[in-house]
Amino acid sequence: MKLENEDALDNLIICGHCFTLHEETPIKDGSKACCVGCGAVLYRYDSKLIEYGLALSITGLIFFILANVFPLIQIDILGTSQYITIPKTIFALFESGFFLVGLLCACLIFIFPLMIFLINITLFILLKLHRGKNLTKHLLILLSHISPWNMVDIFLISIMVALVKLIGLAQIHMGIAFWALIVFVGIDIYIVKQIHISELWMLRKRLLLDKDTS
Amino acid sequence: MIEVDEDQLIRCPVCEAVNINKGKNNICRRCDSPIYQHRHFSTEKSWAYLITAMIAYIPANLYPMLVTSQFGQTEGSTILEGVVYLWAHGSYPVAMIIFFASIIIPVMKFSILIYLLISVKYPIGKDKKISKHKLYYMTEAVGPWSMIDVFVVAILAALIHLTAVSIVAGTAATAFAISVFFTLLAAHAFDERLIKENR
Repeated sequence: MKLENEDALDNLIICGHCFTLHEETPIKDGSKACCVGCGAVLYRYDSKLIEYGLALSITGLIFFILANVFPLIQIDILGTSQYITIPKTIFALFESGFFLVGLLCACLIFIFPLMIFLINITLFILLKLHRGKNLTKHLLILLSHISPWNMVDIFLISIMVALVKLIGLAQIHMGIAFWALIVFVGIDIYIVKQIHISELWMLRKRLLLDKDTS
Repeated sequence: MIEVDEDQLIRCPVCEAVNINKGKNNICRRCDSPIYQHRHFSTEKSWAYLITAMIAYIPANLYPMLVTSQFGQTEGSTILEGVVYLWAHGSYPVAMIIFFASIIIPVMKFSILIYLLISVKYPIGKDKKISKHKLYYMTEAVGPWSMIDVFVVAILAALIHLTAVSIVAGTAATAFAISVFFTLLAAHAFDERLIKENR
């Protein structure tokens, strides 16, 4: 295989699932390119990616704040009523001496999701303003390191499992945070599915690096 | 003009850019992350994490996961006891979820990773119908779900702490969280490119 120079490698894509080599071809707005070998999505093209991404990230962040401030679930048991919020759950672990589990939970369900959304917002704003060549690079690297460790979706299922365990023992009321968390997880899954990290790298190259050479 | 063999193209694990394999110390041209290509130590890191996870999995099953104190009586229940209790009380779906998340998934992950780690070093399973890449992606996708039990315990412990009835997390919670954490690390540390090279 012959190549002009190292930059020509940007036109090549290796499928993340089966490692088949592909050459990138321009596709229609709003469509996606799939791997010949295994059918996994290679990349998408969406001319409004930055606007959509920014809007979704800000919405997600708002719902994340709601999910953390308001009570998640409230139970009436033996004549008393108790409620938990997400931070309270984490602090309860620390208070009972489970520092390691507490730290892990704090990272997985609070720190990392928050960081991912903040990074996404910063990234989209910087890309929209066409600046921050080095900052976007570091943010993208950080993003790909922490995104596998976001487990809010698993936490949501865990809440439901915990509630089923409590049925019959106590009266359960869902709080505002529970519904906010469902919306947040929905947005989170949508962003992970729709916005692939390699598309952000391509966008960065197109918007920030090509400007210098032209 | 540069001439490259297609086999010499590698993918950066961090930013997914295509790079030319230049031998020992590859640095990604886009994100500057090192792309390790050890000749002799390709699987050791993954093995180390995996063995740690397996060791932590033993106390996770022997010690109580949940300690319930009800009217002065303290009672601990292990993961398996919790599943049996739920099953006996008719919560079949939840019992199944916990059983899958805490027992089937970790054990399956251990065995798949061991199989993959052995198969990239020694010539076994070469003519298998199941793609090893599929197996690897399956473990990566289902892996985090074993955290369910830890989260459930955290929620129950935070929710129920009255004078009459209280639930506290048990020793197994820490062991189990460590086990899941290290299996995730082991899966991340596993170099998927080894699968292709050995096919």
